[in-house]
Amino acid sequence: MVRLPYTTALTTLFSYGLLFAFGQLRDLFRKLLDWFRSKDLKGYAPICLGLEDFYVRRLYLRIQDCFGRPIASAPDAWIDVVERYSNDNNKTLHRTSNSTKCLNLGSYNYLGFAAADEYCTPRVIESLKKYSPSTCSVRVDGGTTQLHAELEELVARFVGKPAAVLFGMGYVTNSAIIPCLIGKGGLLISDSLNHNSIVNGARGSGATVRVFQHNSPSHLEEVLREQIAEGQPRTHRPWKKIIVIVEGIYSMEGELCKLPEIIAVCKKYKAYTYLDEAHSIGAIGKSGRGVCELLGVDPADVDIMMGTFTKSFGSCGGYIAASKEIIQYLKYTCPAHLYATSMSPPAVQQVISAIKVILGEDGSNRGAQKLARIRENSNFFRSELQKMGFEVLGDNDSPVMPIMLYNPAKIPAFSRECLRQNVAVVTVAFPATPLLLARARICISAAHTREDMIKGLEVISKVGDLVGIKYFPTEPPKLAKEAHKKPVAVILP
Amino acid sequence: MAKLYVQTAPPPDLNKNTEWFMYPGVWTTYILILFFSWLIVLSVFGCTPGMAWTVVNLFHFAVTYHFFHWKKGTPFAEDQGIYNTLTWWEQMDNGKQLTRNRKFLTVVPVVLYLIASHTTDYQHPMLFLNTLAVFVLVVAKFPNMHKVRIFGINAGS
Repeated sequence: MVRLPYTTALTTLFSYGLLFAFGQLRDLFRKLLDWFRSKDLKGYAPICLGLEDFYVRRLYLRIQDCFGRPIASAPDAWIDVVERYSNDNNKTLHRTSNSTKCLNLGSYNYLGFAAADEYCTPRVIESLKKYSPSTCSVRVDGGTTQLHAELEELVARFVGKPAAVLFGMGYVTNSAIIPCLIGKGGLLISDSLNHNSIVNGARGSGATVRVFQHNSPSHLEEVLREQIAEGQPRTHRPWKKIIVIVEGIYSMEGELCKLPEIIAVCKKYKAYTYLDEAHSIGAIGKSGRGVCELLGVDPADVDIMMGTFTKSFGSCGGYIAASKEIIQYLKYTCPAHLYATSMSPPAVQQVISAIKVILGEDGSNRGAQKLARIRENSNFFRSELQKMGFEVLGDNDSPVMPIMLYNPAKIPAFSRECLRQNVAVVTVAFPATPLLLARARICISAAHTREDMIKGLEVISKVGDLVGIKYFPTEPPKLAKEAHKKPVAVILP
Repeated sequence: MAKLYVQTAPPPDLNKNTEWFMYPGVWTTYILILFFSWLIVLSVFGCTPGMAWTVVNLFHFAVTYHFFHWKKGTPFAEDQGIYNTLTWWEQMDNGKQLTRNRKFLTVVPVVLYLIASHTTDYQHPMLFLNTLAVFVLVVAKFPNMHKVRIFGINAGS
């Protein structure tokens, strides 16, 4: 549910129309000027078909300096961003050797494990010396070390499932597992705002894909009923298998999934559920076990739980947790297990130590402290932003908060001005988000202190005034205490 | 003046090329662009209002025909080319015919034609050009013309 002022919708559409028109004009002139230049492809076909790269060339490259900024330190609460300059209006960028220290509001560092940690780092360095940076082998050949077996058991125990399997890359976990689970003759129903890895896996599987309206169990039920009644396309035979794919926290909205209702609908129609907890594992829930713990869903009700180690655990890779039979099946069919190099051992050790800290098995209560701190930080930051009049999406307790920008010109304005004031934010535009709904996505971490957040809020407020994104009325400061219960920007039913 | 807010749930359309058309404010923006382009044509050329409407109608014909019914595919590569044989009009609403958006887009050229021919008092040669424009545009939007390529024109990728 997004709520935007009507005039903003009109001006955003007009701006995109103008950008599109100028892009087309430039392409037209380029075609005219190159008419007589010999192309000499020697009979080969051109790499890009006419219109395919239009968005990249004419819109993305204009504001290229807001994306892909190289960093020169670990992504802790403060980060060193390398300065770049361009001599040809952002078509090519060159790195300098200077870097500026900025407040990091963009990394997925939810529990603060991204920088050196007193428990994790010594153990990681030890495992680096013992097992070397790479296993140089696939899991089935010689790439399963003791650490891999230990982590699989630990992840299964942490998430609450009987067994788990690891993969070296989070994106690959989705895009290589979904084709193993379902094929032609099956039906995949995925949320309309699912991540690109799920979309890719769904396309690669060959199953029929249907989409239901974001986070709406009633529409899911409607789609399920329609599809089960119609059966497979053209033959109308019953579906071989139905899998419903949802995410725990949607990374572009910061919203939690309505898991209990969706599970109830799936159980009613005997469809399998696949939960992608990339952003929610380790970051929400009382002991960090993700969205199931937060919403009170029994992990046994979700058939397959997927997650990544990149966000809360400060490592890389992904896992799938399910029943013993499914995991055994995946271990001998999934190409990511049979042909891809196994996870790097120091990365595995980092996850083992991070999970031990979260569970409190390292002998201290730092895990519980981190979890409490990230919840406090997210709620504080979000409520302060809403009081200033920004449109912030996402539920309470969620560490991801997108601030809506809408107009395409505000994307580079916000990004560059914040960088000038030493705050590094990530701005997201089309095609990762819908065309009209460009946003700046803030990710809060347990490593942010109160002072860091207050500085971030000051800068964002100043830049927000300059750029003009305070779409809702601000709450006057002296009423802030009484209005604590009732937010001004009414969040929608 | 109190701010007007609109509220919308994100539409379940996977094709990012046509999804933007389902948000509120699109119809109003389209009509406002036509109106302001009429004002600009009037100020630049200093012609009669009727001539200006004819110019807007013909320009609208050229632009919408080119982008809705001629150019195929999407301006980005994320969808791996699954829409490469479909024009924007055929991609709209996932190929479903006679939806509200399609009906609106069919009515706009007709209304423009009526305004243009009325304000030029149905004189030639403007009447002929306007009629040709509206005929081509409306026929191109018929449900029976979905994925039809007459004489194989524009059938290649």
